[in-house]
Amino acid sequence: MRIIIQELRKEFKILLAYPIEIAFWIISPILWVIPLIFQGKALIGGLQSSAFGNLAGTSEYIPYVLIGAIFSTYMFSAVWSMGNSLRNEMFYGTLEHILSAPVRPIYLLLGKGLYNSILSTVFVVAQILICIVIFGLSITLSKIVPMLFFLLLLLIGLYGVGFIAAALTLLVKEAHGLLHMFEYVLFLFSPIRYPVEVHPVTRAISVFIPLTYALIALRGILLGLKYDFWQTSLYLFALDCAIVPLGIVIFNLIEKKTKTRGTLAHY
Amino acid sequence: MKTLIHYLRAINAENIKEWRIEWKYKPDFFRQFVEPFVYLLPYFLYGVALLGGRFSEHLRSITGIGDMIAYTFIGYLIMGFLNTACWAMGASLRKEQWFGTLDTIFVAPVPRWVYVAGMAAHSTCHQGLIMFIQAIVITSVFAIVFKTTGIFFALLIVALMLLALYGLGVLVAGLTIGLKQWWVISEALSTLILVVTPIAYPLAVLPLIIRKISLFLPTTYGVIGVRHLLLGEHLDIGLGTIFLRLAVILIVWCVFGFGIFILMDRYGRKKGILSLY
Repeated sequence: MRIIIQELRKEFKILLAYPIEIAFWIISPILWVIPLIFQGKALIGGLQSSAFGNLAGTSEYIPYVLIGAIFSTYMFSAVWSMGNSLRNEMFYGTLEHILSAPVRPIYLLLGKGLYNSILSTVFVVAQILICIVIFGLSITLSKIVPMLFFLLLLLIGLYGVGFIAAALTLLVKEAHGLLHMFEYVLFLFSPIRYPVEVHPVTRAISVFIPLTYALIALRGILLGLKYDFWQTSLYLFALDCAIVPLGIVIFNLIEKKTKTRGTLAHY
Repeated sequence: MKTLIHYLRAINAENIKEWRIEWKYKPDFFRQFVEPFVYLLPYFLYGVALLGGRFSEHLRSITGIGDMIAYTFIGYLIMGFLNTACWAMGASLRKEQWFGTLDTIFVAPVPRWVYVAGMAAHSTCHQGLIMFIQAIVITSVFAIVFKTTGIFFALLIVALMLLALYGLGVLVAGLTIGLKQWWVISEALSTLILVVTPIAYPLAVLPLIIRKISLFLPTTYGVIGVRHLLLGEHLDIGLGTIFLRLAVILIVWCVFGFGIFILMDRYGRKKGILSLY
């Protein structure tokens, strides 16, 4: 526990050294939605689409995309921050020190993961507040409890994704681009901007991504769309149970491999 | 003349060095050729989800082009060069800092901008190759037909836009010296430019204030000019005006970018923050 707290303290100290990052992460997901609004207006000439309604259950595409953008913050934060966390330690020149400390590396990653979860929640809350003020989004207390429940289930699954991303960095070193690619793949196959039912391939692959179920539930709660609470939570929970152990196993295997080969400190 | 050749050799050395570094990370090298497709597909699928197909009557009524895929593709293809400015050139000095070689290369007998220019040369070649492959694959898969008569002037517009974007790249590289965390500057600038530039939509759908701002961006003229020449998009301004405005923007952006770079370089050395993280 002390290790995780120290890791948290360190990460927050580094973040506060670059305060511009905080403002950026709060505003950017909302900015990413703006081109989609303009594109929608250019294509259909309004803010409602019947074709979109047939697929998504709501013809209003702006709230749909906005919710996708806000809650995808969690997933991209897991991929980016946890994936880059070990590479950053490499750049700082501290990777060998922390990995040779008498602690299991998975605890260090847990600390980094917890830091991401706290930070992402702060960003998401700020983004929701912006949406309440600008777009008139309404959130009642009765919506907050189920939202928190699904966010918790989402976060657990994303820890697994984060472990895999961190392992990838240890393996290929210059993982910045690969993480970007990973992010785009998740963008493509998750219902962030559009319902995955738009294409059979996106529909088939999306079932393996935790964000898919979380977004179905969160949109159901916030926009009043039809969804099955128990079924969605059960799918998400089952996915968590598979992804987290898989992430830990992959990370441990690759960490062992890099130590055996002596490539840990390689650039 | 001798000095110019000296600088050109340094720029080429930087270009070769960057190819060598990229080749060392093979998965990442090949990833760069696949990524543009993965990046582009969500925009196509979003359009399909909204329209229930590929063609839009509303888009045809305001631009003269009904094919959403062709319209969107040209916009994002041209915007690929924004990566050159914001990411490759912006990151050039920060990367040297990470490698621990910034101080070493800064004492070499060439001006600082030469490193950034080397990075620009490399990124233009690399990005150009990626975009060429992307253009061939996407046009073949989606059966997009271009007006071949417009290719020469389209390339000319792209060249002018690219030169103007070099000014932005130099600006980001300069800001990195003082602000360090380059990716935030790059991400913020590229996000703002992506929002304001009419990539997948015409200028007409933008709110008035954003439309006015977009007129100061080289990417706006790059995208609408190339779309007009290759797809026949209706424009409110003539082709001559596009060339003229691009030339003015090029001068302004380059002068401003280099000015900021020189200022930040002086500031960095005066404050002794060059090697700080």
